[in-house]
Parts: sequence; structure tokens; C-alpha cells
Amino acid sequence: MKPMGLTSTPFLAFQEISVGETDLYEDAWGFYPEFNDVIDLMKKVRVSPGKRLTRRLIERIREQ
Amino acid sequence: MMTDYELIEQFIKGEQSCFEQLIHRHKNKVFAYISLYIRDQALAEDLFQDTFLKVIQSVKSGKYYDNGKFISWVMRIAHNLIIDHFRRVKQLNTVSNDDYESDLFNSKKFAEDNIEDHMVKRQIQKDIRNLISQLPDDQREVVILRHYSGLSFKEIADITEVSINTALGRMRYALINMRKMMEEKNLTLTFN
Repeated sequence: MKPMGLTSTPFLAFQEISVGETDLYEDAWGFYPEFNDVIDLMKKVRVSPGKRLTRRLIERIREQ
Repeated sequence: MMTDYELIEQFIKGEQSCFEQLIHRHKNKVFAYISLYIRDQALAEDLFQDTFLKVIQSVKSGKYYDNGKFISWVMRIAHNLIIDHFRRVKQLNTVSNDDYESDLFNSKKFAEDNIEDHMVKRQIQKDIRNLISQLPDDQREVVILRHYSGLSFKEIADITEVSINTALGRMRYALINMRKMMEEKNLTLTFN
């Protein structure tokens, strides 16, 4: 008798499933189809640190 | 392109510029989280710097173990610094509600637009930020971590120390609340 599991599909851990950028939990909850208007609106906001702030941070790191 | 961990390894060996690469790679995610979560711009800038300084301290003292999720670890540090800040404020009982405008408009594309477009975009961005800021803390945090910092729900759940289902539930309530506020304020997309 063959040991179990040799011919069947092996189980995969969640981390082993390649889904690219998709978040499977989010996908399962269907946020994008249901709230695409809200999500599209949120995408209009871009937040980034100013160049001056980034430069100051790098200077502080170099001083250490 | 070097991975985050390869950059950290090189940094530990003395290659200072490797950490600067990490900063440039992740600064927007970290800053978006901090600056959208707390409204005080000066404080957000301080916490942004403190986060990376703390990251360096931890890396140098060997506290970072690679599991392929450097940014998730950095965000946890930012989260803890924010929590520490609010604890201190609570103790001092001096809550600041200063309004501010972040550096939202520093893209090249933005500079190319005409003044009118600029004003419209500025107003809409301000409106959206206001919507986000009116969400309850727990919902706001999930929205920011997912949509502005790009973390997965698994990572968000780890950082905020709740179950994945709770994080998903908070997101759902946040989206419902935002839509309700959008309708009340008659806020729609008027630019691309």
C-alpha cells in the first residue's frame, strides 16, 4: 500500500501561493467591486515627504 | 535590483548609501501612514525621522531578522512610535488638533497643470484627507496601511494586533462610512 500524499496534490501554505499583488483576503471580501468609487477617490491622494525632509533625515543618518 | 535584506547587509558592512536607498524605496509608505494618521505636520515629520533612526539603531544592534518583510517591520516601528506619542499626550492631557497640509503636490505632473486644475485638485485632495481624518482611529489606520502604505491584511493584522477578520471588518466599516460622508458632502471625482 502506498503511503498517503505521494500521488495527491500537496497542501500549500498561504505564503507559497503566488498571487502577485492581490490580497486574497481582500479579494474574498470583495471590496474592489463593491467600493470601487470610494477606493478610486482615495487613490487621488498622494502623500510623500518633501525633499527637504528626506534630505534632513539622510543628513542625520550620516551624522550618526 | 538589490532586495531590502541585501541592502541591510551591505549597510551593516559599512555601505552607508545602501540605507539611503532603503529610505528612498520606502519613504512614501512610511510617511503616508504617519502623516495621514496624525494631523500635526511637524509631529509627523519628527516621527518619520524617528522611525528610520530607530530602524538603524535596531539593525545595528542586530535586532532585525530577515523574513522578507522589511517594510512591515518598519511600519510596526512607526506604529509603536505613534502609540507611544499618544500615550505621552494622554498623560500630559494636551491633545493637538492643528490642521495642516502635507506635501501632497510635489509631483512633476502637478507642476505642469494650470492654476485652475491645481486649485481643484488641491481642494479635492483636502476633502479626501478630511474624510479619512473623520474615520474612527481603528478604521483610519487600516485604510491608511492598506491603501497608502500597501500592506497586506495579514501584515496589518500583525501590526495592529488584531485578527485578519477584524482588520477586514474595520476596512469594510471604513469604506461604508467614507461613502456615506462622500454622499453627504456630494464629493465625486472631478479630475483624472
